[in-house]
Amino acid sequence: MGRLTDNRRPVIAGLGLTEMGPVYGRSAANFATEAVRLAVADAGLQLSDVDGLLTSNGTSGGVGLGLQRDLGLFDLRILSEVQGFGSTAGTMVQFASMAVQSGMAEVVACVFADAPLRPGRSAGDVYGNGRRPDAGGDRAAALPPATGWGGLLLATGVVGANTLYALAARRHMLRYGTTTDDFGAVAVAQRAWAADNPHAQMREPITLDDHRGSRWIADPFRKLDCCLVSNGGVAVVVTTAERARSLAQPPVHVLGWAQCHPGRLFDRDENFGIVTGAARSGPEALAMAGVKVGDIDVAELYDCYTYTVLVSLEDYGFCVKGEGGPFVASGAIGPGGRLKLNTGGGQLSSYYMWGMTPLSEAIIQVRGQGGGRQVHPHDVALVSGNGGILDHHATIVLGSSPT
Amino acid sequence: MSVGAVARNGATEAFFDGTAAGRFMVRRCSPGGHLSRPQARQCSECGATDLSWTAASGRGRLISWVVIPGRGSEGEPPPPPIIPAIGELEEGPWWWSMLVGADPASLAEGQPLRIEYERAENGEAVPVFVVDTSSTP
Repeated sequence: MGRLTDNRRPVIAGLGLTEMGPVYGRSAANFATEAVRLAVADAGLQLSDVDGLLTSNGTSGGVGLGLQRDLGLFDLRILSEVQGFGSTAGTMVQFASMAVQSGMAEVVACVFADAPLRPGRSAGDVYGNGRRPDAGGDRAAALPPATGWGGLLLATGVVGANTLYALAARRHMLRYGTTTDDFGAVAVAQRAWAADNPHAQMREPITLDDHRGSRWIADPFRKLDCCLVSNGGVAVVVTTAERARSLAQPPVHVLGWAQCHPGRLFDRDENFGIVTGAARSGPEALAMAGVKVGDIDVAELYDCYTYTVLVSLEDYGFCVKGEGGPFVASGAIGPGGRLKLNTGGGQLSSYYMWGMTPLSEAIIQVRGQGGGRQVHPHDVALVSGNGGILDHHATIVLGSSPT
Repeated sequence: MSVGAVARNGATEAFFDGTAAGRFMVRRCSPGGHLSRPQARQCSECGATDLSWTAASGRGRLISWVVIPGRGSEGEPPPPPIIPAIGELEEGPWWWSMLVGADPASLAEGQPLRIEYERAENGEAVPVFVVDTSSTP
């Protein structure tokens, strides 16, 4: 793919973050409309300027095509619900970028919102980790027998993101000698970054010993290896470089993008857990942006689990394949490290808005609005989104200038 | 740890006919005789869609596993952990199920596995992994 060179180059001009965390009594659609309004206002635009809307649901639903009416938007030129799970935010920005570049639309709002948390409901239950063969009692009795191939997984406890990602992580450990302390190093580093993020749910520093003492969720994952679960919404506004020049915020240029959906067969020699889609989408997005991995000032990598960060670092080329463990354990990450990584605390410590978490932090950093956690320089950012069980990957390269 | 109840549907009918007889059925393509996992809709080797059912050996090796602490009632000793695992069948396809009767501390990559069957009340016979002590890795 060629470099983008005209005035219709895509720019992220607006960012809207609602209150996030255990915020009860509001629907996902309610968060979504607020996030879009905030993003549009942040850009210095009016809702009536929006002529494209892309929506992304979390687990609770309700963030779909009906959002157009909730926002009173007329004669939209694009409207679609997008699904790639944790890669969706990146995917939406990519589609929005192509839409403004082609002239199909001028101002595209992309929004994710979710409201899975309810008082008294565990975070694990939200993501299906609660349905296990030994759940017992009334809950198990209330469930009909599972059916289909998925039913076999439910019946045998191979269910839930925690378990499935832990199976992937174990493979990495077996192949490369990665340790649970390596995973802990990611958790500790990201918590240190979260301390200076006013949006973060978890800002108290932790140590490697805290990680070692954290209870097992699905060995090799402890609680501190797992992302938070949050209610809330995040939206971004994508427009052209030309339009962005007269708007309120420093433009965040979308310099390069790519996706990879591996489509695994799960047969002999399968690389599940060893290599992710980032190994393809990373180099392609960097080439489109005309930068190399060494040019990246700040990396915001999808972190549903500590392991996901570690394997993504390898696939993007921040370290050699297999050396993610020693790399993160060496002190290379964290506020004092040489690689500025997940500078807001990520989904482990700040807020769990799927791909919008790394994307929003990258926008804040490239703009130079990171306050106490602002990194310098902050001209080029790499953002990853990862969805399903390492099934979908989206990469975006953002920059403070068009080249 | 016992399995949960699972009911057959159109897609799993032939598979559960197999498990009821103690056989682990996989898909075999007509053109090349390649073997694919039971849920395959086309041959994972050659892409052929002309697939029939055939019994696998029921032996394999351990690819990955997870140890989930048992969740018991308050005041009682916790039940043994659940060990969700990935096994690679001798024939190549991967299968995902719980590993039963194993000491988590003794597990190792490549360890020989055997498929056995457990059945919940009102459910089909469900394949589970056990460590195969009759062979060596």
